[in-house]
Amino acid sequence: MGVVLVVALVVGTGVLHSSPPTAAQRAAAIDADIRCPSCEDLSVAESSAPTAVTVRATVRQLVDAGQSDQQIQQYLVARYGSSIVLDPPAHGWSLLVWVLPLAGVAVAVAGLGTVLYRRRGVVDGGPGTGTDRTDGPAGVGEDPATKAARRRFLEQSLADADAEYLAGDLSDRDYLALRRRDMSRLAALGAAPVDEGPGEGAVVPATAGSGQAGPAAGGGVLVAEPALGVEAGTGQLADTPASTAPTATTRRKRRTWLFLVGAVASFAAALLLALTLFTSNRLPGQTETGGVTLSQAQQVQQDLGEAATYENEGDATQAVDLYQAVLTRHPDNEVALAQLGWLEFQTGRTAKSTVLIADGRAKLNRAVVLDPGDYAARLYLGTVLLLQGGDVTGAVGEYRHFLADAPPPSLLDQAAPELRQAFEEAGLPVPSQVPAT
Amino acid sequence: MTLGTDTPDTPDTADAADPAAPVPAAGGPSRPVRSRHTARWVGVGVLVVAAGLVAVLATRPPASVSEVYSPLVSHQAPRISGTTVDGARFSLPAHPGRFVVLNFFASWCEPCQTEGPDLVQFQFAHQQSDDATLVSVVFDDEPKVAGLYQAQIGATWPTLADPGGKLALAFGVRAPPSTFVIAPDGRVVAYIVAPVTAADLDQIIADAKATHA
Amino acid sequence: MNGTLGHTGVLLGFAAAVVGAVVIAVGLLRGRGSTMRSGQLYAPVILLGGIVAVVAMEHALVVHDFSLTYVADNNSRSTPLLYSVTGLWSALAGSILLWALVLGGYATAMVWRFRRRSDEPLVAWATLVVYAVAAFFFGLMLGPADPFQHIVGAIPTNGLGPNTLLQDNPLVLIHPPLLYLGFVGFTLPFAFAVASLITGRLDEDWQSETRRWTLFAWAFLTMGILLGAWWSYEVLGWGGFWGWDPVENAALLPWLVGTAYLHSVMVQQRRGLLRIWNLSLVVAMFSLTILGTFLTRSGVIQSVHAFSDSDLGPLLLGFFGLVLVTGVGLIAWRGDRLRSPGGIDSPVSREGAFLANNLLFVAFALIVLLGTVFPLLYQALNGGSVTVGAPYFNRFFIPVGLCLLFLMAVAPALPWRKTTVEVMRSRLTVPAAVGVLVVVACVIAGIHGVEPLLAFGLGGFAAASAARALVLSVRSAWRTARSGGAAPVRAALAGWRGLVGRANGGMVVHIGVVVIAVGLAAATSFIHRGELLLARGQTETFAGHTVTFVGTRIVTTPSHTAEQAVLRVDRGTFTPAISQFGTGTQAVGTPAIDSSWRDDVYLTIVSIPDKGAVWTFGVVEQPLVMWLWIGAGLMAAGSVLSAVPGRRRRPTDPVSAPVVQAVPPAAMDGDPSDRSVDGPEPDPLPVGAGDPS
Repeated sequence: MGVVLVVALVVGTGVLHSSPPTAAQRAAAIDADIRCPSCEDLSVAESSAPTAVTVRATVRQLVDAGQSDQQIQQYLVARYGSSIVLDPPAHGWSLLVWVLPLAGVAVAVAGLGTVLYRRRGVVDGGPGTGTDRTDGPAGVGEDPATKAARRRFLEQSLADADAEYLAGDLSDRDYLALRRRDMSRLAALGAAPVDEGPGEGAVVPATAGSGQAGPAAGGGVLVAEPALGVEAGTGQLADTPASTAPTATTRRKRRTWLFLVGAVASFAAALLLALTLFTSNRLPGQTETGGVTLSQAQQVQQDLGEAATYENEGDATQAVDLYQAVLTRHPDNEVALAQLGWLEFQTGRTAKSTVLIADGRAKLNRAVVLDPGDYAARLYLGTVLLLQGGDVTGAVGEYRHFLADAPPPSLLDQAAPELRQAFEEAGLPVPSQVPAT
Repeated sequence: MTLGTDTPDTPDTADAADPAAPVPAAGGPSRPVRSRHTARWVGVGVLVVAAGLVAVLATRPPASVSEVYSPLVSHQAPRISGTTVDGARFSLPAHPGRFVVLNFFASWCEPCQTEGPDLVQFQFAHQQSDDATLVSVVFDDEPKVAGLYQAQIGATWPTLADPGGKLALAFGVRAPPSTFVIAPDGRVVAYIVAPVTAADLDQIIADAKATHA
Repeated sequence: MNGTLGHTGVLLGFAAAVVGAVVIAVGLLRGRGSTMRSGQLYAPVILLGGIVAVVAMEHALVVHDFSLTYVADNNSRSTPLLYSVTGLWSALAGSILLWALVLGGYATAMVWRFRRRSDEPLVAWATLVVYAVAAFFFGLMLGPADPFQHIVGAIPTNGLGPNTLLQDNPLVLIHPPLLYLGFVGFTLPFAFAVASLITGRLDEDWQSETRRWTLFAWAFLTMGILLGAWWSYEVLGWGGFWGWDPVENAALLPWLVGTAYLHSVMVQQRRGLLRIWNLSLVVAMFSLTILGTFLTRSGVIQSVHAFSDSDLGPLLLGFFGLVLVTGVGLIAWRGDRLRSPGGIDSPVSREGAFLANNLLFVAFALIVLLGTVFPLLYQALNGGSVTVGAPYFNRFFIPVGLCLLFLMAVAPALPWRKTTVEVMRSRLTVPAAVGVLVVVACVIAGIHGVEPLLAFGLGGFAAASAARALVLSVRSAWRTARSGGAAPVRAALAGWRGLVGRANGGMVVHIGVVVIAVGLAAATSFIHRGELLLARGQTETFAGHTVTFVGTRIVTTPSHTAEQAVLRVDRGTFTPAISQFGTGTQAVGTPAIDSSWRDDVYLTIVSIPDKGAVWTFGVVEQPLVMWLWIGAGLMAAGSVLSAVPGRRRRPTDPVSAPVVQAVPPAAMDGDPSDRSVDGPEPDPLPVGAGDPS
């Protein structure tokens, strides 16, 4: 069963066929570690605030540009300060926040192990070497009430051991060892004073609900018969007290015990450490069924807006670059197609480059196919047909679509000359929408 | 005082009688028995740590004024350029030659409204002495709305639109109002995340001049 | 009038607390039982004071009495009735009032419960401590946190209204009261712990009393935290339910310590061990509650959940110091003398498992505490600022959670004292097989990732182990009923006894925890986030769901206006919106959620275009989110079940001791009877069956 589990886990972890993360996954992973600058404690991946959108866009650009995760984080830290990273850095004073928990857990486990080791009683048949109070020189400096409490505890312990043994929870060997130890401790405490009852305010044993004072469990008559029977059967003598000196067997058993505990503890610690340090603290993009598709939608809108601004200013190169960038990621974005097509056409006309002209025209065609209702693409295509191919009919067709799509008046004004020209050349009446030049 | 009567009044003698010295146990190798004062020592330790924690917590300023750190202070400021809300291009050289007060604002930001009049006053004063320029940048707002807001308060200085928040990211701005004061050689000398007053700005400029005179 | 009435109530509560404390102190000094008893009578007076003040405040809120600053700041004429009522606890001063009321209620309950033992010093000391705490909180309201402060200047015609996020969802009605029932409830165990230490009476009887109060408070705190997560999910708009926000952590810290305590107290009841440790846990529980109160109300941390800045900070911090010094000081003084008279026999036993459980919970609590206050520490040391966010906490939460799942699986089958490999193997083979099966099935289904797979596998293991314990318990209840001579049908129905009681209720709670863990692992590992740009009529697919933008509509109610987008997701219609409450406040986004048992589709409006038809919607798809709330329900059910008394046993009866010496039936599965003894074959009730309460 263990083998099945290991195999399943290995397959499941995907170590066998993991592929390197895509750019989107890398960006998503980085985004999950950056704090949204204007939010309380959301990561940039989770927030839809405008600052978060900007940071995501920048991260994506830097990832596309080939920067490493470290470099990207440094880029942001250089602008926002080190508190922009959700994970505290692992150097300087903030190293404390990583070291203290691990050190604390290690110390706690070690302490617990030590305490348990010292108090382990008779697990291996060794002498009861615990530092608890039932050991040691009996009655030295102890008041009667504490002794009474101890006596009650031991009697209870004996009764419990009997019941557990009968119920099958304790093995023969453990039962015998426990019994022997508790009996010897009881004997060391001395005989119980006859009239000792629960002292006033003394540590009262739990008698709530049943009023029983005796140690005998309700479970019935628990006698030593079965135990003795077994003892006789296995030949162990019940009358020898706990051995006073550690025998070779005890030492060997102690060493085995130590080794086992050490092995388990170090394995557990290693597992904990590995999980802590190497597992991802969140999720997206790391597994094959999970993923984060941080859509670039808003980023696209902003890129388009920026490009439009550049176009208005006359900075065609910047605009072209931005449109190209949008199209690389979203080849079907009709706004980018239309605008870029138009720009290419214009550039091609000026530079007399047929390649550019054809390219621009193809883009415009595509834009019109993708979004028949886009008046800008219709206008551009119509103008292209008019100016380049002399295809007046086609141009008129496109212009009709353009007019039908309710274009804004400013655009109508701008395009009025070409519109008139097309309709007049086609011998058709100019629609009333077209303003007089 | 009734404290219960189980332990007679010899707590300390009981402790003193603890076998602090190694005493051979009834059946084990002799080993030094640990002092039984575990609870006491652990308690003292916990109280010491807690006292430190309380001291730290008691001396913290409220969080709203804590985050005034910018890694740009004393470093070169990023390039300030862009389009204004009216559509004009605007850019400053890397060494502006005079102090630049860069103010990030939004029309929906209430504290920004308190600093508006101060900025107008500052601009008026320094326009005459010509040793400082004021530039505003729209943060997370519509350019038209922000432009209207600026017009309302009587702003005559350039207001950059910052589409995409690129300038805000370059300067590491988290929330409005955020103001940077940049020296003539392009270094950032101050960063304020609260509404500024004209007096504050004047003081900062005076200090900067004094240190670099 | 409301203000005067309120002030009277607060003053009454404060005076009663102070006078009652003095009377009890006198009684303790003089050793007179009658004086102590008369001191108990002041608890109902404290409660009365609290009730009067709360009634006054609610009245003021409902009738929109803006002469009180608190009402003017947190209420308006257009606030619906529900949110007027919840305005009592929506802001700082009112929350203190609620705290004081709940404390008065708990004090009265405690006094009534111990009315027959009211002349015992232990009860007197505990009552004294509760009075002191009540005096502090009522005293806060007389000073800096006065909810009945009269407004300065002219009385406004309309108030500002509650915080917009607090009038978005009706869950605001239950979450804070539940949370306070939990927090304030931890005062009583603390009072008993202090009283036990002072009087030196650490017997198990009082510990079981403390345990009962802790369980009661803990159950409410658990529900409060889970409902808070649900509320955040429904309202905040980022699609998550737990952000390791400092305020969330402040509520989690007492819960973690409380859970550790509830487990380790079982060791004390069963074997009388770990006394001082349990006392320390109780002191820590209450101290962390006060620390959390300080963090959320002092303004030193910034959080969307925090109350506004106030002057309460130094007072609360001082109180925290006082509580800690009292508790830890008492333990340091008396602790060594009151130790348990025994030790743990073997780490591979149920005691050992509970110790490991405590280690994990306390260690994790310390890590959460460190992470929460570390930015403040760093600022003190270095002056700079650093963020400790969700990734840090998740990094530790995942291994701790997985180890806890493993312990949950193993511990119910572990016997006390000591066990052997054979015993464990025979008991846990089937549950372990279930776990492995789950992992294999998941891998075959295409689920990848080491943490989710481990979580699912260990969850299956733990659930199967808990189910095993329940099945055995029900079977033994049947057998008891049958052997008691009942008719077969009656005996079958009597199986319900196997489901109630502390241990069995605990198993149901464990199953609830497993369900939550599985939901958490799935939702965080396989989350899909994205944005959809849709024009009206457009459809897109996202993570296996089709989303269509049908249209928009505007909804206006007296209290708010909302612009809604109507979206059809698969076959259901959902309307995320942007709402404006009142006038002049900022608009908030209201998400819409398509929940199914398989996954949740979380929709928000990101931006509305001014012109143009394309809206931007945020979509988050997370699997198995509903399992979180189902698990919460299971935990609540389990808590209720464990409050029902099970079969009567002595508290320290070994769990495996048979109640009825019955005719020896066939041996149970998994219980080795490897003895060929000549004694009577006993009724081999398996460990975990029945309930030693």
